[in-house]
Amino acid sequence: MADKDLSPMEHLKARSRYLRGDLAEDMADPLTGGVSEDSAQLLKFHGMYLQDDRDLRPERTKKKLEKAFGFMIRLRLPGGVIAPKQWLTLDAIAREFAGDTLRLTTRQTFQLHGVLKFNVKTALKRINAVALDTIAACGDDNRGVMAVSNPHQSRVHAEAYDLACRMSLHFKPRTHAYYEIFLDGEKVAGEGERDDVEPIYGKTYMPRKFKIGFAVPPSNDIDVFAQDLGFIAVVGPGGEIEGWNVAVGGGMGMTHGEPETYPRIGDVLGFCRPDDLFAVAEAVVTIQRDWGDRTNRKHARLKYTLDDRGADAFRAEIAKRAGKALEPARPYAFTSNGDRYGWTEGDNGKHHLTLFIENGRLRDFADGRRLLTGMRRIAEVHGGEIRLTPNQNLIVANVDADKRGEIDALVAEHGMTARASALRRNSIACVALPTCGLALAESERYLPDLIDALDEKLAAYGLSEDDIVIRMTGCPNGCARPYIAEIALVGKGPGRYNLYLGAAFDGSRMNKLYAEDLEHDGIVAALDPVFAAYARERQKGERFGDFTIRAGFVTATVNGRDFHASTGAQRAS
Amino acid sequence: MSGFATIPKTAPFAEEEIDLLNRVVGPANALQRAWLAGFLAGVESVTGQAQPAAPARPAEPITIVYASESGNCEKLANDFAKAARKNGLKPNIVDMADLDLAALGKAKRLVVIAATWGEGEPPARAVRTYNELMGEGAPRLDGVEFGVLALGDTAYVEFCAIGKKIDERLAALGAKRVVDRVDCDLDFAQPASEWIGGALKVLAPPDADRGRVIEVDFGKPVASPNTEIVEAEVSEHINLNSSRSAKETVHLALTFDGAMPAYEPGDSLDLYAENDPAYVDELLKLAGLAGDDALRAELIKSRDVTTLSLKTLETHAEKTGHHYVKALIADGQAKEWIAGRQLIDLISYFPIALDAEKLRALTRPLAPRAYSIASSRREVGDEAHLLISAVRYDSHGRARKGVASNYAAERLKKGGRVRVRLKPNKHFALPASDKDIVMIGPGTGVAPFRAFVQERRATAAKGRSWLFFGDRQFTHDFLYQLDWQEALKDGALTRMDVAFSRDTPDKVYVQDKMWEQRRDLIEWLDGGAHFYVCGDAKAMAKDVRATLVRAYADVKGLSPEAAEQSVAALERDKRYLQDTY
Ligand code: SRM
Ligand SMILES: Cc1cc2nc3c(=O)[nH]c(=O)nc-3n(C[C@H](O)[C@H](O)[C@H](O)COP(=O)(O)OP(=O)(O)OC[C@H]3O[C@@H](n4cnc5c(N)ncnc54)[C@H](O)[C@@H]3O)c2cc1C
Ligand SMILES: Cc1cc2nc3c(=O)[nH]c(=O)nc-3n(C[C@H](O)[C@H](O)[C@H](O)COP(=O)(O)O)c2cc1C
Ligand code: SF4
Repeated sequence: MADKDLSPMEHLKARSRYLRGDLAEDMADPLTGGVSEDSAQLLKFHGMYLQDDRDLRPERTKKKLEKAFGFMIRLRLPGGVIAPKQWLTLDAIAREFAGDTLRLTTRQTFQLHGVLKFNVKTALKRINAVALDTIAACGDDNRGVMAVSNPHQSRVHAEAYDLACRMSLHFKPRTHAYYEIFLDGEKVAGEGERDDVEPIYGKTYMPRKFKIGFAVPPSNDIDVFAQDLGFIAVVGPGGEIEGWNVAVGGGMGMTHGEPETYPRIGDVLGFCRPDDLFAVAEAVVTIQRDWGDRTNRKHARLKYTLDDRGADAFRAEIAKRAGKALEPARPYAFTSNGDRYGWTEGDNGKHHLTLFIENGRLRDFADGRRLLTGMRRIAEVHGGEIRLTPNQNLIVANVDADKRGEIDALVAEHGMTARASALRRNSIACVALPTCGLALAESERYLPDLIDALDEKLAAYGLSEDDIVIRMTGCPNGCARPYIAEIALVGKGPGRYNLYLGAAFDGSRMNKLYAEDLEHDGIVAALDPVFAAYARERQKGERFGDFTIRAGFVTATVNGRDFHASTGAQRAS
Repeated sequence: MSGFATIPKTAPFAEEEIDLLNRVVGPANALQRAWLAGFLAGVESVTGQAQPAAPARPAEPITIVYASESGNCEKLANDFAKAARKNGLKPNIVDMADLDLAALGKAKRLVVIAATWGEGEPPARAVRTYNELMGEGAPRLDGVEFGVLALGDTAYVEFCAIGKKIDERLAALGAKRVVDRVDCDLDFAQPASEWIGGALKVLAPPDADRGRVIEVDFGKPVASPNTEIVEAEVSEHINLNSSRSAKETVHLALTFDGAMPAYEPGDSLDLYAENDPAYVDELLKLAGLAGDDALRAELIKSRDVTTLSLKTLETHAEKTGHHYVKALIADGQAKEWIAGRQLIDLISYFPIALDAEKLRALTRPLAPRAYSIASSRREVGDEAHLLISAVRYDSHGRARKGVASNYAAERLKKGGRVRVRLKPNKHFALPASDKDIVMIGPGTGVAPFRAFVQERRATAAKGRSWLFFGDRQFTHDFLYQLDWQEALKDGALTRMDVAFSRDTPDKVYVQDKMWEQRRDLIEWLDGGAHFYVCGDAKAMAKDVRATLVRAYADVKGLSPEAAEQSVAALERDKRYLQDTY
């Protein structure tokens, strides 16, 4: 296709001399807390977003001040595993530069918010000093690689985790721009002019973000069907991994009022052996690199490439590039995409404590829950490791039996397990306001209050202890993977949300738009009768999402292309 | 108006001569008149003998030295000169900054009018000469007759310290004190003019036949701006700090209906504030005078009800005879006790029924507060902008609020009216438009530099301009950030460096940025740049000067002494200019 059709972002990448652009100069400009628009785009490849505190926007210009800029820094943390020593470093950075808070994300990593431009390099150097980095945590490249967090099957988990790390390294950009610009590493002469710096990506990297994850049934905590490329472990009788089912074409993002954009569940295209894993992965990545739509960023994700080309063409191309065809998919069964809380004993004899962290927000709250300090204290005494789950929660992993008491005491001392209802334990919300530039409505700051209201209703119907998955996002981009939640609320405008129902509890089916533009009372009023009916009419063991379809509240969504079809309440409630 | 000089009918000339003279002298400008006066005086001194026709006697010379920062002493020096001429004296007014000590010994008559600044320090410009005067090198002054008038503020512990020290020093150097010193508080107008009258009685030639001495009217300085009190309307009232900031710095835009003072960049406005009614009410309650509405109104509007000075304590002891207050003074603990306290503390610690007269006696007239003008008329037209930082602090368990700054921040509102008076400051003006300028203005010190930059934009000045600004937090305290970004784009500002003390692990201040940039800084100064400092006098101004000295030493490899000399030279050339408070 002719160059002029390429999206501006493609030209910028091509010009950028492997992600350098004017970043160094812009970072050094002392009179603004921001950087140029181009530099802001390039920043993403280095794991950062230029944001501003939207709560302050109304007053800034009047006060003759520019926007209250702050950098969001996202770590590259494959599989979400971190050592206590590294945790302590992040804790210190959060306290010194990021407003005394750490944010756990839906892809098992950390975000720091509101870091002043003039402190970014200092923060990154300290992160680097404990063998962590932020490379490709954002941007048109392979993002943070996810791996099942459920520590119960320790051996399989260890293997999935190891693969996640190697996969992340395999697709990590090779440019030295990051070290030159942010870590004062010495300049690699002429690198910007060479052609062979990025063997996999080339000069223009991917058409769009690309996401990989490893799931191990029965847990689908990583939401393998929301990944561009998801691997589902097939575990043999002896507990060893025989190979992987390959799911391709998942993704959540869409835009209100643009039906040609839609969320999509990945298709399981087949099965591959452990030895072929990297070949298959590289095949899928390069196919998307070459076939992906670089003219329209709203149509650039793999899910559209797949729908446009068709599964067969895609399978054939994989075979061609990987030098080996995928075998027929093997059977697999997921039970849920949530976390199991409390202590479990792994098959390695170690103990693991899963802690519910509401919306992944670690902070010392006014109400006495001192999550940030609590976790620091735990990191100070903990000998094992700490894991981040895809549901924004934490696992204190590999604790010796005799250490459990000490951990429990710290958890209690810092009020880290304030009793939470089943609905709350199964909730996630994206960050949204005040930092997210794309938010149309509140999310993280609002969902807890909504759940208070919904819990009252649920209690009235005796449903307080029923696991129902609820997710909220401040816009349709889907950062909390709302379209695979039994109940989803997606921001439409200030205080207004679209309500979706009917996804599968195990994340294998998307939900359907049930009602539009609801405000708080409207949401509660809309759900109340559905809860009532569920309590009344559900069959034994029937999940809420499945019920809403059987009971006829919504029609089932088969896949992306019919996501926008036959929407709306089907049953008068 | 060009101060037309008309020869008084009383002059010893025939009528037609007076007309003739008027045709020449009338339209003459100040300079021509001055020349004539000098010339005639000169003729007198050579030809010696008195003229029978006009028996005017040669005027005796008198030297009037003033040490002034904000212009009060300078104004009094001019008043003194006027009166001196009327009394047959030939005044020679000298800014202490320009005083040649060696020549002082020749002065027969000497008057010094000196202010005290900082915490008992000389006005910035006068520091160098003052130190010479106090040092061993100072010349003997035998045969010099002198008198000293001291200006100060009883609110400061070191009340009129500089006037006092100069007074002692002159005597110690052998000069003869013929007029006793008077120490004036902020309301100096009356005591000062009385002192001037008294001084002249002593210093003017005894046999001066005043009636027949020719009065030479030098007219007012050409186009002297309106320095009357005028009322302005507040057309903008914005707290420039973010709502997340611990500080409150108000940007005030004042519009004048007609009587707009013709201010220049570098000038200030005296702002006539009112006291906090809540504070006054508490004060009246404690004094047992609640309900006296007349008194209340008077105190709010025109009395200084916060300052607590030794003088206040003495007055209190004397008026009330309060046992403990007397004891406090007697034990010499008064100085220590008043530190950080206000009048209200005195009244509440030592309760005693007061009547209106007694309470009034404990206060002094409410003095205006000066604020640098932060705009240029050439850019904003009939407006003047001020940048006022609300002074708030705790001491002795009380939350304290600065009178004027909080009047501006809390009680002045958009659309409200306020009384101001222009305080010209020709010692802090822009240089020729092709000269470079370096401006050091952290905090509210940046105010006059906004005026400078606006002026240079409006006049398309060729000279480069470099601003150093600093405050606490980049995001929340960057005063006028958008203005500076714009000025850098359009070139009105060539370069800017900022230092924020609460953002990064290590605290940085403007002087640290100066040090970082020392090479360029010295290069600019070598190229003739003028160096301006405005803002905090206690720490910042001193640190900045010390840093500049170090910069000279480092960049040019000079000894500390030589480096000090380089900066002193800048001061002597009037290229190192300060407006600090
Ligand atoms: C932090 C996080 C949500 C959370 O609360 O945890 C997040 C936060 C943001 N996402 Fe996301 N996304 C996060 C997981 C996701 C997911 C879930 C997943 O990947 O499993 C999705 C849906 C899956 C997908 O990619 O389709 C997701 C789909 C998006 C999209 C829509 C992409 C699309 O194809 O349309 C955007 C907007 C865009 O890329 O144009 C986006 C953009 C953003 C930005 C960076 C907004 C922006 O571009 O300016 C948000 C920053 C908010 C803030 O202030 O921190 N984020 N984002 C998650 C960080 C994940 C990580 O650690 O890397
Ligand atoms: C030439 C000139 C220009 C000026 N320009 C500006 C300007 O542009 N902007 C500006 O904001 N100000 C400026 N000032 C200062 C201004 O004039 C006032 O001094 C200031 O606003 C305080 O006045 P106030 O009436 O609010 O406080 P006041 O009622 O006068 O109280 C101030 C007094 O409170 C005491 N005090 C203050 N802080 C503390 C503390 N932390 N601890 C203990 N005691 C304390 C001190 O005794 C101080 O003298 C300028 C001053 C001068 C002389
Ligand atoms: C920042 C500042 C500090 C001052 N310090 C003193 C002082 O220590 N002692 C004193 O008696 N007066 C002090 N004063 C009062 C001045 O001496 C008084 O305002 C005087 O009229 C100024 O005269 P000038 O305009 O000629 O400089 C101070 C005034 C200001 C604004
Ligand atoms: S879903 Fe939308 S609002 Fe929420 S974080 Fe993602 S982009 Fe921001």
